[in-house]
Amino acid sequence: MRFLFVDRILDLVEGKSVRGIKHITADCPLIVDQISKPYFIPSLIGETLGQLTAWNVMTTNAFKARPVAGIVHEASLKRPAFLGETILLESFIDQLDDAAVEYHSTAYIHDEPIFTIEGALGPLLPMTDFIDDHLIRTQFKQIYRPGVFSTTHEFNSLFNSPTFRGLSPESTKFLDPADKLRDVGEFRKPEEHPSFSFDRILNSDPGVSITAQKHVSFAAPYFPDHFPNQPVLPLTILLECIRRLALSFIHQANFNAKYRLHTFKKIKMKTFVHPGDLITSTLSIKEHTADLLTLSSQTELEGKRVCVLELTFLKEI
Amino acid sequence: MNLENVYPKVREIIADVLVIDESEIEPTSRLIEDLGAESIDFLDLVFQLEKAFQIKIPRGQIEKNARGNLSEAEFEKGGELTPKGLEVLKAYLNEVPEAYFKPHLKVSEIPMLFTVETFCKLIISALNEQKTAEPVS
Repeated sequence: MRFLFVDRILDLVEGKSVRGIKHITADCPLIVDQISKPYFIPSLIGETLGQLTAWNVMTTNAFKARPVAGIVHEASLKRPAFLGETILLESFIDQLDDAAVEYHSTAYIHDEPIFTIEGALGPLLPMTDFIDDHLIRTQFKQIYRPGVFSTTHEFNSLFNSPTFRGLSPESTKFLDPADKLRDVGEFRKPEEHPSFSFDRILNSDPGVSITAQKHVSFAAPYFPDHFPNQPVLPLTILLECIRRLALSFIHQANFNAKYRLHTFKKIKMKTFVHPGDLITSTLSIKEHTADLLTLSSQTELEGKRVCVLELTFLKEI
Repeated sequence: MNLENVYPKVREIIADVLVIDESEIEPTSRLIEDLGAESIDFLDLVFQLEKAFQIKIPRGQIEKNARGNLSEAEFEKGGELTPKGLEVLKAYLNEVPEAYFKPHLKVSEIPMLFTVETFCKLIISALNEQKTAEPVS
């Protein structure tokens, strides 16, 4: 698995804006459930938008520094990106200097915004701490193929035609093992997909809180690209782990309702998490109304807070 | 605009950024030593303060304000404050107790001294500058 998600950069105005595409194919990390067609892991749409922005920042500063995950005020999922679809990615830089980039981004399918990022702030760090100059420039050359699409209609005609729609629900024969719910203390079974989940639940107080643990292993497929000189756990992988933990929490709480993820909010990644680390995340209810459920998440490493965020789920009617 | 005007909002924002209770915050609280802020929190704090007060806070503004009329060469050498630089820094950060200013203080260590009041002063300065820059109709 590669952890480089932008398939092509369509246009780029240094320090200002960038557009690109991402195809959702069977090579992508997908969620398979019993409800719908397979879809791209939601937080990785955000990862793709972040990577797109990073390409703009890096070309603007001649590949001297790269942004890393820092803060996101709000990331909203409007609907999933299904297998067979192509996402049009757009990112706008609000402020860029030597220390950080501020940006906002949107992912579209068929003119429809499916994922938005507001108030993102990424600190800039020296490039060679993470990846050699030659390699990052090569990666850029591989995907920078500007194309001219006068209208989104033109774009959709090419990339989102009906013949490119992907599998029907009937053809999906398996359940994503990582969505299986586990009991307290039970270790993840070897056949489950290891890298996008916590390994085990340490404590569960149904309807109140849940705590889980993850051993961060160098064997995970995202480390070779993220990054060659300094492997660090991608924020968006941690978001996916937390999303799955939240689903476990919701199921165990027995709320007598179905919920779907709506937003990640107030995301802050305070420090890097490396292979060999052991992280613990705790979710608790921040707000629970008739229509929505907001959970607070705190992730710690050796007793120190490394990531905080909130997740909001909407009750499905 | 004075400390009393800006402090409540600044305290609210700091509490939100550091995920702590407002009751834990005093004007004299040092953001790093007392409240546990990290470098990403400083970025977040400046971002939130800019939005809340509709101002721009360029990076390194506190150091620039502290430096006053001194040139960079007079203020620091090889990353360490000169005696003159330390003197003007103490004068600017007059809300910070004398004992916290150690000799051979590095420029990179200046943020360790910042208190909640330091940020309030920064905002007041930015608001006043903005007002001065406004065209007279």
